[in-house]
Amino acid sequence: MSAVALCLALLMQGEAPRASDAEFLRRVTLDLGGTIPSSDDARAFLADPDPAKREKLIDRLLASPGYARRMEQAVTVMFLERRSGGKIPDQQWSEYLRKAFETNEPWDRIVRAMIASDGKADDTRPAMKLLADGAGGDPNRMTRDISRLFLGRDLLCAQCHDHPNVKDYKQAEYMGLFAFLNRSKLQDDPKTKKAVLVEGAAAEKIEFASVFSPAKKHQTAPKLPGNDEVDVPAPRPRELLAERLVRHPQFARNSANRFWFLFMGRGVVHPLDLDHRGNPPSDPALLDDLTAGFVESGFDVRRLVRKIVSGPAYGRGGRAAPSKPLSAEQMAWSVLTATGSLERVAKAPSGKFSSGKYLSGKSNEPPRALNDVLQLFVDVFGNAPGEPEVGFQPSMTHALFLMNDRLILDWLRPAEGGLVSRLSGRSGDAVAEELYLSVLTRMPDADERKEVAAALGRSGTSREAALGELAWALIASTEFRMNH
Amino acid sequence: MSYGCGGHDHALSRRQMLGLLAGAAGGLLAPNVAQALRSKQRQVLMIWLDGGMSQLESWDPKPGTDHGGPFRAIPSSVPGVHVSELLPFSAKRVHQLAIVRSMQTKDNSHSIGVGRIQRGDPVNRGVEYPYMGSAIARLLDKGDSGLPPYVVIKPGSSGFLASDAGFLGGRYGALALGDGRPPIHLQGGISTELEEARQSLRRAADARYRQGRGDADVDAWEGCYDSALKLMRRKELFDESTVTRSERERYGSHPLGRHLLQARRLLEAGVLFVKVSSYHWDTHADNFAMHQELMPQIDRPFAALIDDLDQRGMLENVVVLLMSEFGRTPKINQRWGRDHWPEAWSLALAGAGIKRGVVVGKTTPDGSAVAENPYDIGHVFHTVFRAVGIKPEETFYKHNGQALAIARDDMGPIAEVLA
Repeated sequence: MSAVALCLALLMQGEAPRASDAEFLRRVTLDLGGTIPSSDDARAFLADPDPAKREKLIDRLLASPGYARRMEQAVTVMFLERRSGGKIPDQQWSEYLRKAFETNEPWDRIVRAMIASDGKADDTRPAMKLLADGAGGDPNRMTRDISRLFLGRDLLCAQCHDHPNVKDYKQAEYMGLFAFLNRSKLQDDPKTKKAVLVEGAAAEKIEFASVFSPAKKHQTAPKLPGNDEVDVPAPRPRELLAERLVRHPQFARNSANRFWFLFMGRGVVHPLDLDHRGNPPSDPALLDDLTAGFVESGFDVRRLVRKIVSGPAYGRGGRAAPSKPLSAEQMAWSVLTATGSLERVAKAPSGKFSSGKYLSGKSNEPPRALNDVLQLFVDVFGNAPGEPEVGFQPSMTHALFLMNDRLILDWLRPAEGGLVSRLSGRSGDAVAEELYLSVLTRMPDADERKEVAAALGRSGTSREAALGELAWALIASTEFRMNH
Repeated sequence: MSYGCGGHDHALSRRQMLGLLAGAAGGLLAPNVAQALRSKQRQVLMIWLDGGMSQLESWDPKPGTDHGGPFRAIPSSVPGVHVSELLPFSAKRVHQLAIVRSMQTKDNSHSIGVGRIQRGDPVNRGVEYPYMGSAIARLLDKGDSGLPPYVVIKPGSSGFLASDAGFLGGRYGALALGDGRPPIHLQGGISTELEEARQSLRRAADARYRQGRGDADVDAWEGCYDSALKLMRRKELFDESTVTRSERERYGSHPLGRHLLQARRLLEAGVLFVKVSSYHWDTHADNFAMHQELMPQIDRPFAALIDDLDQRGMLENVVVLLMSEFGRTPKINQRWGRDHWPEAWSLALAGAGIKRGVVVGKTTPDGSAVAENPYDIGHVFHTVFRAVGIKPEETFYKHNGQALAIARDDMGPIAEVLA
């Protein structure tokens, strides 16, 4: 039976298998903590007889520092799309977001600051990054980003005319949104010399015409779809947009859809920025329920996340499991965790590492500190800036990196606390168990135990080299590459 | 639910699946094009002179006119056809070329023009179209050359240019060889024997995972290792010590010459699409001195390349395209420069499916406008697709359920150059 047929059959009968404890542990630790669990954590969870252990695990992860870090990375990938313009240093943006998720700041407030921040107040200055660096402070790019990222409507075509294929996407909608933003511009603050995203008043309505009928002029004041036009003159239109946007029903719906995507690998509405009547959600009731719950909770992200990962769809196993590739950040943390190198790297002082020079062969200096390692993984496994990361898009360069980068090979050599050293201290079945728990977060089956024993019994290879090969093969496998 | 669940991919064979990539992006409605061409794989070499080569100092000289500049026109190997005296070597190969003198495109800024021209100026469908190399890789790659289908040789840094692929997805991006150098991770640190041992363990792990989870993700990730291992076995392609002295002399020791030679070697090895990029052709000031310096860097190696391809019988299979994002203004500015001019410019084609020794189109006597047969970049895409055996009117990308034309559907090929 094909996977499609099998999947459909299981759905029809409501018999999608539940994920095993091991499967669930790996999945949820990656999703909420940004890394695979250690072998000790895996062993403890698997041995725990508590029937409520999955719920407790979710609570524990949601309260851990890993959660804020993971959400910060996910938002950087999904909303900033790894774009970096240098107006706000990446580090400041990360710290700002991490703090927001740590304190569980409501999602509407996080987004409101992203739209409204002009960069003048210290506490919200980093939030300016989305529009200042992501959209380069350009009113048309800001319009497109806000519509596609927060309203789930990619209005690119509607800049010049009504969308040719999507009936719902009108030029008037684009222009209504644009009218909130066309008074915004980046400039250097005369006092601090730092870039700020200032705005002038929307003095009057803006005029526009379709390129197909340039003689026919239209007018609009700032306006969100379905809302009334804003009275002009409006002194601070972008600030007004921020307030109105987060109260817009499409904002709540698109946000709920995006968080669902983050954990399920596919939006209820998919593609995420193509929400319109011709592309309905796969399960409208589900999306309505998620959206309503999110609004009622006051945009409580932790609560929404808990609801999604506690649900039956997220908890499915086998072929019905939600499946998505590990992000660049998850790859970095997981390879570090699997090889037992995390502690060592986390302690290393930052050097003068340049990922660009390293990857173009201009420097032989490998990264040592955690941030540098992360940057290298992002440059290898991340998409190009501005390219959404949706679906599995592996490339040969990813494979070459895992095969031949000195860093990976180093991490698979014997070292204090390292995986290979830990394995070489064990014998018999304990080797295969520790290996599989460390890398794949599960116990090996009988064939896998045999395979490990055979590889260790091979002549001509030292035991430690053979252990390194075994570990490499699992890290390089599809099972490791995916979160399933 | 996983992507593997509910996709249309399942009906296809594993071979086709390898070309499809997990996920919905970049499917094809006519996936058997590649199979139809199995017997005679066509390849493409695109030479991209970034910034804009002057048509007046190359293929369409206008000596003795107001805007003609100081250089003479010289006779070429085709009676009656003259080219700039800055192309003495290429002039002798015009009988192998098809020159289009009536290019008329729209964008006159680099920032928009470069991307738009290289994506074939597609009608806006709300998606980012692929560059020509990614498009050809998607449409023609059979995955059996043992090499990445789309390689870019350029000055500067190496890496992977995922964004070239647009909506087709990163897999169809370009492997970039900065200054012709191989990617750093091509250098393996372990013996062949160890490599085989760990790869067979990896394959065994993937085979087990496949049973529980289906094929799509495993095929996509396995395909990456297959390509990586194949490329690692071809390190000699990047070994400059095997270049002969005579080759070095004919192609020149400057970057463009070395990169064109590297391109020939990659084409010989079976790379489907090679693009050689050269920068600094943007001659807003001192146009004539700059072209005097720049033109020999393309003239001689281009001639050498045409000769080599011809001698090896490769002109039968390889389509060669030499172009920029636009030409340069006939009017000479106050700094003795020429500015951007998409209104009337030239490019050259050669090789598979292309007529030899033809000149298409004509500009007005002062070179400021196209007088006959204007062609846009969409026509060029149609022409190259045709030359490699793809029928653009029958082949579509499938993206999010939308059928997308692979080339402008309001345009067709430049019929005069198609053999």
